Amino acid sequence: MSAATHPARGPGDRLTGLFWRRPKLLTALLLLPPLLWLGVVYIGSLVALLVQSFYSIDRFSGLVVPEFTLRTYGELLIPSNFDIILRTVTMAAAVTLAAVVLAFPVAYFAARHAKGRWKAVFYLGVMLPLWSSYLVKVYAWKLILAKEGIVTWAAEGIGAGNVLSAVLATPVIGGNSLSTSYIGTFLVFLYVWLPYMILPMQAALERVPASMLEASADLGAGGWRTLRSVILPLALPGVIAGSIFTFSLTLGDYIIPQIIGSSRFFIGQTVFSLQGTAGNIPLAAAFAVVPIVIMLVYLTLARKSGAFDAL
Amino acid sequence: MTPAVEFRSVSRHFGVVKAVDQVDLSIAEGAFFAMLGPSGSGKTTCLRLISGFEMPSAGAVRIFGQDMGSVPPNRRHVNTVFQDYALFPHMSVRDNVAYGLMVRGVARRARLARAEEMLALVKLDGFGDRKPAQLSGGQRQRVALARALVGEPRVLLLDEPLGALDLKLREAMQDELKSLQQRLGITFVFVTHDQSEALSMADRIAVFSEGRVAQVGTPSDIYQRPATRFVADFVGSSNVLPPDLTVALGGPRAWASLRPEAIRLVADGRLTGTVTGARYLGAGTRLMVQAGAPPASIGPRADGGPTDAPRYLGQDENGIAVLVPAGVAVPEVGAEVTLDWEPSALHLMAGEA
Repeated sequence: MSAATHPARGPGDRLTGLFWRRPKLLTALLLLPPLLWLGVVYIGSLVALLVQSFYSIDRFSGLVVPEFTLRTYGELLIPSNFDIILRTVTMAAAVTLAAVVLAFPVAYFAARHAKGRWKAVFYLGVMLPLWSSYLVKVYAWKLILAKEGIVTWAAEGIGAGNVLSAVLATPVIGGNSLSTSYIGTFLVFLYVWLPYMILPMQAALERVPASMLEASADLGAGGWRTLRSVILPLALPGVIAGSIFTFSLTLGDYIIPQIIGSSRFFIGQTVFSLQGTAGNIPLAAAFAVVPIVIMLVYLTLARKSGAFDAL
Repeated sequence: MTPAVEFRSVSRHFGVVKAVDQVDLSIAEGAFFAMLGPSGSGKTTCLRLISGFEMPSAGAVRIFGQDMGSVPPNRRHVNTVFQDYALFPHMSVRDNVAYGLMVRGVARRARLARAEEMLALVKLDGFGDRKPAQLSGGQRQRVALARALVGEPRVLLLDEPLGALDLKLREAMQDELKSLQQRLGITFVFVTHDQSEALSMADRIAVFSEGRVAQVGTPSDIYQRPATRFVADFVGSSNVLPPDLTVALGGPRAWASLRPEAIRLVADGRLTGTVTGARYLGAGTRLMVQAGAPPASIGPRADGGPTDAPRYLGQDENGIAVLVPAGVAVPEVGAEVTLDWEPSALHLMAGEA
């Protein structure tokens, strides 16, 4: 007669048995390390940042006064500071919008038409730029966009040199060359963050069944109507996810505007210089809170508008 | 009268695969037409040729006499109930139903009122505010039906409309679809692999096999007078008798079909044999009987369980399926039985040379 059970083969089997009897124990053990990391290191430092932003700096001694005040936040509204916020948010919004427009056809092709080898080409093409160093790419772009760079050379070569000059003559966004104008900053931001828009968009579009598009056509809708009423609403969670990346990454970046652009400050650069040479930690913290608040407002609006309903 | 849908030697090839091959069909206006066949037989492709999601490789599809060669799906006056329903998850049930009207520019108030009417027609009044995800499978099916009917199509296409429902609901929906079709008078064309569904709902059936139409006819034509071996076997798993056996049983030299339920167990009859297997079906028992002395290799199984007897008599010597209705004593596996049937039950198949 054989027994109804196999003998335990060692501690592994006993552990499996323990987890089978108490499934919550396994969940707790698995969650403990990430929760410690998130809770202490991540949330903890965020709280520290938030607390610092409510302190102020003594103008004479230059020391941080650890007393609660809203004065530091008030300083954000000084025109020179407020311009920085406005400039950064405008840039982030422009980059995000352009990324949506550029990413959609790529993501749509990958989700609906690419199969097998073409799918591999798509992933490779989108991910490849992420494998090389961010700094190398940005400096490469500085050369590409420079006055003596390939873009100027190519524009002159095809007789479009005056078009480029006209674009650069545009007030505010123009400049001496592409690499010293907002246009240049915008182009490089767009290049660097585009993959973060394409991938979530592609994932969202992939989840839209083909029969959904056929149903729309079957009910009489043309291509534009289907795009507007079916594809875009269903892809919206992906668009929002992608825009969270492009928007927040642009809001926080301090290297690209420092290397390429008009040398006017963005939020990231301001935080960097305030906590460094100026030693004004409270104002740096207040500046750092701005992108967080903007993102919270953005997500709330997105949620209210039903962007996540299809999830 | 112009047929609602007409196929003129239509083919649809995908590379070397002939999904639909030289199909000629004519579907009369107001018909409840079934396209029946196993998976891969071309029936769904034919449906998609009507809706416009497939283009014929050769031949012409006509709807009410008009050639559809250059008409895209959104301009065909034909609507589809999709197999997975394809309801828009981000829209309420009411907006889903009103979609076809919105696309055509019907004013909001009018189209929502019309959507309400359609929901009432499929007995879903009061469900308009819900999202499709909040509905059961059967309710979603009704929404898909209402959405397809709201634009008053001249032909309604249904792709395996009841495939995802459980048996009880499926039977209820069969009756409902049938009465809906009779009330609206719209031509319904539906695709199914379920022969009982086709037999009970349709008034004409096309049986598909390997991209071709094996037979078109009324349900009783198809069931009682199958034209080919395939039809006889696929619809109701008939006994297919090769010419030799037909001759042995007193008929002419031709392929014949003999329905299992037409065969009776009697004391003195046309054929004697040994029971080699039995499958209990609830409403009856399906016996496999080997005529004459069974070869040792296909005798009854030692454990008395059902044997996997092949069905074509030409392949397995003389195995024959017999349906014993409930209430009649079922002989044991291994028992000797005598079989008899009315001479008219032996149907000669014209489509087999």
